[in-house]
Amino acid sequence: MSTERFKLLLCLGCGFSYDEALGLPEHGIAPGTRWADIPDDWVCPDCGTPKHMFEMVVIGYAPGGPELARTA
Amino acid sequence: MSNSFIIRNAERGHDMIKSDGLRSSYIAGHPDGFVTRASSFNFHEYQGGRPGFGPIRVFGDEIFHGAGCGYNMHPHHNFVICAFVFAGELTHINTAGAGMVDRLQAGDYYVFSAGSGGKHSELSVTPEDMHAIYLWLLPEQLYLPPTYHRAHFDFRRRRNEIVQLVGDDSGALPIAQDLRVSRLMADASRSFSYRLRTTSHGVYVFAREGSVRCGDVTLGRRDSTGIWNVDAINIEVLEDDADVMIVETIMTDDENIKKWEREHAGH
Repeated sequence: MSTERFKLLLCLGCGFSYDEALGLPEHGIAPGTRWADIPDDWVCPDCGTPKHMFEMVVIGYAPGGPELARTA
Repeated sequence: MSNSFIIRNAERGHDMIKSDGLRSSYIAGHPDGFVTRASSFNFHEYQGGRPGFGPIRVFGDEIFHGAGCGYNMHPHHNFVICAFVFAGELTHINTAGAGMVDRLQAGDYYVFSAGSGGKHSELSVTPEDMHAIYLWLLPEQLYLPPTYHRAHFDFRRRRNEIVQLVGDDSGALPIAQDLRVSRLMADASRSFSYRLRTTSHGVYVFAREGSVRCGDVTLGRRDSTGIWNVDAINIEVLEDDADVMIVETIMTDDENIKKWEREHAGH
C-alpha cells in the first residue's frame, strides 16, 4: 500500500468530488483506490464529464463533509 | 514586480450550443433554443485557455436565445455559482434547502453555493434574449450547507463609483470564499483606484461595455486582464457608459494554473 497522501479531485463540470480515501463504493470503487488506478474512460457519475476534466484540489471539508461526500 | 495577463475578446472560448440531439437534455428550449457562451477560462472539451484565476474556474459571458432557452435541471456540488443579469429575464430554480424559484432582471444578481448538493435550472421564459455573466468558484470548504442569496445593483443611482456586489462589505452578498465582485459603470475621463486587500490577492478586470485603461493596458469591449502582486490598480475610463466587472480574489497556490503558465510562457 502506497504511503502517498490520499488525493481529492473535483469535477470541473459539476463539482462532484472523488476522494481517494473514501472511494465510491456505490459505484464499485473501493475506499483507498488511487485516482491513477481508475480507468481513463471513467466519467463523472453525476454529469458525465470525462476523467481528464477533474482537477486535484487541496480544500478542506466542512464539518460533516466526508459523510456527505460519501453519499453524494 | 507585478504579474499580469490579457485576454482579448476574440481569444475567449466562443461556443454556440443548440438544444438539439443529446444536448437537448442539457440545453433547454428544443428545437430552436440556443445558448452562446464566451468563456474566459477552461473552455472547450479539451480545456483550452487559462485554467482559472485564483479559485475562479468559469467566467462565462452568456446569452440565452429564444423563449424557453437555458439550462435544464442538473446537479451541482461544491461550486459557488454567481449570475449577474444585464438584459432580459433569468428564471433561476434550485432544489437546495427548501427550494427556490427566482426571477432576475437587469441589475439583479445571485450567489448560489451548491455545497452539499442541489440541482438548478437557468431559464429565459420571456421573448427577449437573456444576457448574463456566470462566475464559478471553488469554495473555501467542501460540502457546506447550500445557500442562495440575491440582490440588485441600481445602475441609475450608483454611477461613477466602484460598487461591491459580492463580498464582505455591508450590502454585498456573502460568499464562502476570500473574493469580492464589484461593478463600475462610469463616464469617459473619470479615473478610479482599486486597492487590493493584500499582495496575496489578485484582480480580474472585465470590460463588459466601453473601453478602459487599466495600468498600461487598454481594454476594449469584452477584453479582460488579470493582475497580481500589486497594491492597487487604476482604471481610467476612455468611453462613456463603460461597464466593468472587477473580481478580487485570494491567489490560491494552484499547481494546475502554474503548470499551464509554464507551458504557455512566451506565447
